[in-house]
Amino acid sequence: MNALLRVEQVSKHFGTRENGVTAVDRVSFGVAQGEFVSVIGPSGCGKSTLFHMIGGLVAATEGRIDVEGDAIRAPHPAIGMVFQEESCFPWRNVVDNVAFPLELQGMARAERHERARHFIDMVGLHGFERNQPSELSGGMRQRVSIARTLASQPRILLMDEPFAALDEQTRLLLGDKVLQIQQELSQTTLLITHSITEAVQLSDRILVMSFRPGRIKREIVVDLPRPRTSDAVVSPAFGAYVADIWNDLRQEATLGLAAADRRRTSAA
Amino acid sequence: MAAAARMTGTAAPRLAATLLLLAAWQGLALSGWLFQDVVPPLQTVLGGLASVLSSRDFYANAAITGAELLVALTAGGIAGVLVGVALGSSRFLSGAFERWVNYLSPTPKIILFPVLIMMFGVGVGSKMAMGSVSCFFPVAISIAAGVRGVDPALLRVGRSFRATRAQTLRKILLPAMAAPLVNGVRLGFGVALIGVLLAETKLSNKGIGFMIMEAYHRFDMPRMYALLILAVAFAATVNLLAGRAASRLGGQHQGTLR
Amino acid sequence: MRFAAPLSGIMVLLALGGLLQFAIQMDFISVYVLPLPSDILASLPRLVAEEGVLGRFATTAGETLAAGLLALLVGLPMGLLLHRSLRMRAAFEPWVAALAAAPLILAYPLFLVLFGRSPATIVVIGFISALPPVVLKTIEGFAATRRVLLNVGRSLRLTPGQEFRKILFPAAIPQIFVGLRLALVFGLINVVGVEFLINLGGLGQLINDLAERYDLPGTWGGILCVVLVSIAFFTVLDGCERWLRRRA
Repeated sequence: MNALLRVEQVSKHFGTRENGVTAVDRVSFGVAQGEFVSVIGPSGCGKSTLFHMIGGLVAATEGRIDVEGDAIRAPHPAIGMVFQEESCFPWRNVVDNVAFPLELQGMARAERHERARHFIDMVGLHGFERNQPSELSGGMRQRVSIARTLASQPRILLMDEPFAALDEQTRLLLGDKVLQIQQELSQTTLLITHSITEAVQLSDRILVMSFRPGRIKREIVVDLPRPRTSDAVVSPAFGAYVADIWNDLRQEATLGLAAADRRRTSAA
Repeated sequence: MAAAARMTGTAAPRLAATLLLLAAWQGLALSGWLFQDVVPPLQTVLGGLASVLSSRDFYANAAITGAELLVALTAGGIAGVLVGVALGSSRFLSGAFERWVNYLSPTPKIILFPVLIMMFGVGVGSKMAMGSVSCFFPVAISIAAGVRGVDPALLRVGRSFRATRAQTLRKILLPAMAAPLVNGVRLGFGVALIGVLLAETKLSNKGIGFMIMEAYHRFDMPRMYALLILAVAFAATVNLLAGRAASRLGGQHQGTLR
Repeated sequence: MRFAAPLSGIMVLLALGGLLQFAIQMDFISVYVLPLPSDILASLPRLVAEEGVLGRFATTAGETLAAGLLALLVGLPMGLLLHRSLRMRAAFEPWVAALAAAPLILAYPLFLVLFGRSPATIVVIGFISALPPVVLKTIEGFAATRRVLLNVGRSLRLTPGQEFRKILFPAAIPQIFVGLRLALVFGLINVVGVEFLINLGGLGQLINDLAERYDLPGTWGGILCVVLVSIAFFTVLDGCERWLRRRA
């Protein structure tokens, strides 16, 4: 496969060798041009660490990550990140938030606003250009963040549970928005998520991670027709994928839950 | 180990800054470029400190200021606690009067001194009154906030065990109030000391504030520095100890800054 | 019903005033201890017309503003410096906090020697008392910048200068304004106090003047003026801060 993004034998250890945690263990995969890939796993499986390593914010202990042969050691211009946490600048209105990466490139004000408007429309926030983030709902603010990252026109869109804080219905609708954008831009996307429905709804391929040490346990090709919408959620084929992945994840999630309980009791 | 490492971590820059400041002072004093006579060399300041500490005069005046401060803390503190508890426990009283307390709290209290002289005379009485008025506000505000801050869940626990009013006060409210009380007294002490000493500098014939003014009029700079150093050191020590007590009592450390 | 409590508060205060008026008129309390409340009220127009309360307020406010701006000019870089190095912050932040709690105004005789009986003395004391809140709140503002916003900057490969201008500084602005508000509050308290103590300048001196003339109702009226002016000053500052916060 001719991959745009390639992750090869990447590991991350925290702490010392004797007394530490292996968050990510020899993970390898590739993402091809125009492909939508999801990484799914229980909480605590090292998904976010993987996200930060691909984004170049955290160095891998072992292995290599590259974009078309260019190794990632620091944030790479080809990769645009969308964070799990609220990340709009509260002191900028919507259009200035979205135009932020263009402003850094030194684009003139009128031009960058024009471009920003295009991406604001794309995420469905037409008419909110002049609003402050504090006047928007959580889902709208996350869409502003996505538009801001799209405005930097990354070759690879890298998202870490962007809808984690939102309710299920909003998630499905925002999923539709992401599908639409994907269609329009043929945007290469890597999504980190813990939601099975979200992964099946959006992805061409799903990588299932195991709980600590985080390894790629299995790869699933989602063979649902495109263009998709959230309507697909009710189809039998969709349900079969969800059930299949849940079978795999149940065991990992149980391990994760037990570990979380242990942490809580030892902390108390 | 870790504590020792942290100590050396902050000790080095602190030591360096202290030495730098002292050296700058000494250099300025010896060169005589600026503020000649006003910036005496360090040994002269130390000499002033020694002569102040060895004079009987200092202890007699410190006793007077101390007595004024003690009365101010008692009177202002008790009034502050009573008003604070009243404002904190009654929504009506708080709505009726708390705004006035909040309005008056940040105005400079020293301007009340002339009328306090008319009420309490030119002697120690007006200084005690000055300190009491200053002390009252931070104590009242801190206690009112403290009473309101008591977790209502704790009070419900008390009610579920059918605690009497007195039991609720003694077993739940008072322990929960310890931290804001110490903190209020800490802030109150700071402003009471300022109130008492400023009043003494304005009009009096005894007390540490009077000694400072006397040194000023005689242009005895070493003596003035010595007295200021002692006053600031005293305030800082009490503030530090009360701050530690408050944080040990588990209250979040509310600083002077709101 | 919402106004029941504040209204009854005002009623009680008015009743108390009436009671004192009665007690003084009946000579239960000497007029040399407490002047008649009606005389105090009557002194207010006289203070405005003859003693130039407004002009004096302008003087006091000018000195306070000068002290606050100086504190901002010095405190902002200091706060940034302390924020930049964890070790420096650990070493010196407690010192600045201690400075905030120290009875600095007591050193006014020292500043009298240094700068004479001049507005400089007043502004310098105001500046010293206004400095700690600016420094402490600036550090707080920078330190409280959310990690994810800095990560957004890193992912877009901002230079250190861009990171400061576009993320750290705007994120800290609300706290810096809190610091400035506190600086002006502390500044005003100390400026008025020193004006009174050294008998120079604006509102503080007015009270000293009236007291030295044994104009007791006038002194009370002057105190009332200072209280009203400070309330107005603090309310305006509060309003500015809230407005800025809403915009931020």
